[in-house]
Amino acid sequence: MDDIEGKILSNSSIAPGYHLLRIRLSRSMGTVRPGQFIMMKIPDGGVFLRRPFSIYDYQQGILTVMYKIVGKGTEQLSKASKGTSVLTLGPLGRWFTVDRRNIPVVIAGGIGFAGIYSLIKKLQGKASIFFGCSSKEEIPLLRDAVRFDPLIATLDGSYGFKGNVVQLFKNHLKGLKGKNVEIFTCGPVNMVKSIKGLIVPHKIPCQVLLEERMACGMGLCFGCVMKTTDAEEPYKRVCKEGPVFNLWEISL
Amino acid sequence: MGNISIKLFGKTLRNPVFNASGTLGYGVEIEPLWSVETMGAYVTKGLSIRPHHGNPTPRVWEERHGMINSIGLQNVGVDRFFDTYLPFFRKKRLPIIVNFFGFTEDEYVACAEKIKPDRLIVALEMNLSCPNIKAGGISFGKEPSMVFKIVKKVKGVTKIPLFAKLTPEVKNIVDIAKAACDAGADGLTLINTMPAAAFDAKKKSIPLKGGLSGPVLKPISLRAVHECSKAVSVPIIGVGGIMDAMDAVSFFMAGARAVQIGTATFIDPYAIPKIIKEISDYLDANGIKKIDDIVRTAHGK
Repeated sequence: MDDIEGKILSNSSIAPGYHLLRIRLSRSMGTVRPGQFIMMKIPDGGVFLRRPFSIYDYQQGILTVMYKIVGKGTEQLSKASKGTSVLTLGPLGRWFTVDRRNIPVVIAGGIGFAGIYSLIKKLQGKASIFFGCSSKEEIPLLRDAVRFDPLIATLDGSYGFKGNVVQLFKNHLKGLKGKNVEIFTCGPVNMVKSIKGLIVPHKIPCQVLLEERMACGMGLCFGCVMKTTDAEEPYKRVCKEGPVFNLWEISL
Repeated sequence: MGNISIKLFGKTLRNPVFNASGTLGYGVEIEPLWSVETMGAYVTKGLSIRPHHGNPTPRVWEERHGMINSIGLQNVGVDRFFDTYLPFFRKKRLPIIVNFFGFTEDEYVACAEKIKPDRLIVALEMNLSCPNIKAGGISFGKEPSMVFKIVKKVKGVTKIPLFAKLTPEVKNIVDIAKAACDAGADGLTLINTMPAAAFDAKKKSIPLKGGLSGPVLKPISLRAVHECSKAVSVPIIGVGGIMDAMDAVSFFMAGARAVQIGTATFIDPYAIPKIIKEISDYLDANGIKKIDDIVRTAHGK
């Protein structure tokens, strides 16, 4: 992990409100594992703190980040042009661990896909992928995962299954009965909550990638915590003990 | 490289730059980037007699020239800190300043009593910004009489030199500083964060209330250091909005013997080692032999 300078190669809109950012780093980030993230900022860019972003992809010195414009930081980032310098601290946090004996199921909601794509890529088609979003306008987010035949739900029914991704997954749950399934998920809190509700009776192992407002990104400030079932020290740092947590150990 | 070591309570510290309490975790987290013994001393996260869980999120909020935090003093408790982390600092021979707090006077006293003198411990740093539950939730640090009483009690149970860390949200910080020193405080840490509220106009909500830190705080902190150092003779640690070496130098000139760096580390995780090096460069470039030669040089001006 280190603070590395980079230059923006491209920063293009892939769907309304979503961007794909490619950065050439001045040196190697080392080994990057699925689920890890970076803290990024544009120096003197009018934003005070860095912002956390999932590592969408990293190869041959090029870091790719997929992001949704949600506030001042991402708004500013979306306007950054080719050649702009950025600082990236990473890779940070604990990653998804894959047990080869289990059948992987990936459930992603909206921009949650950005955090879990690196795992999908690593699993190379071994995972069943469920993706949910609001409408067909967000389908371009899946661009790099189309080859792995994801099952798609849209809330307005404009593409694929009409409804949310958890309802879609529920329809497939029967087919997974008796198999050693493990779920990997990233998306809105309500999606994660309803996954939890659905799989409680089945006791399916599940790793969840969480997001939270962060200041430092490396465990210094205790600003980004998630409540867990640990009675002694319930609040765990999303940046340090996470961002990947065991679903059964967090209090949602 | 110039000599930037300082002497504090008979102990020689490598340099006058420490982290602000709670901004460098338990000291171990920064190790992948730089060795924590780069600093003159490590200031612990605020410790309490029992572990404390802290607040729910959001705990941090960005402002234009600073940030607001409401961590809520989450910590593993004084016992577990010493069991788990003291060996790490001992191995590194890094002096520590133990920051502590309580929600009642008894808790402050019990915590201070628990911390036994140790070669590694330079001083205690008493956080006087906690709400006093017995006095109806007002801070211990706001009334000179309350400050005097609690500092006196703590001094009665410890032989370790004691810094009182003061809040800027008071009528007159000089009166508070004097009260702390009259009660026996061996030094002052000036200042803690400033109470503030984050506002989300889109949602018409206040996402969090907490302490404002970062460069926005620097002029307030510099004034406190300047005025208090004229009124009392104990060593002062300056803290609040220091982002670079020239900020640190300003604090020395204003009367600080040492400085603490907090929010700057979140902007640049290398801020502390950079500031240490640049202070040394500043002394060299200006032919200054030691830090103490510039301390208080802004007095009378």
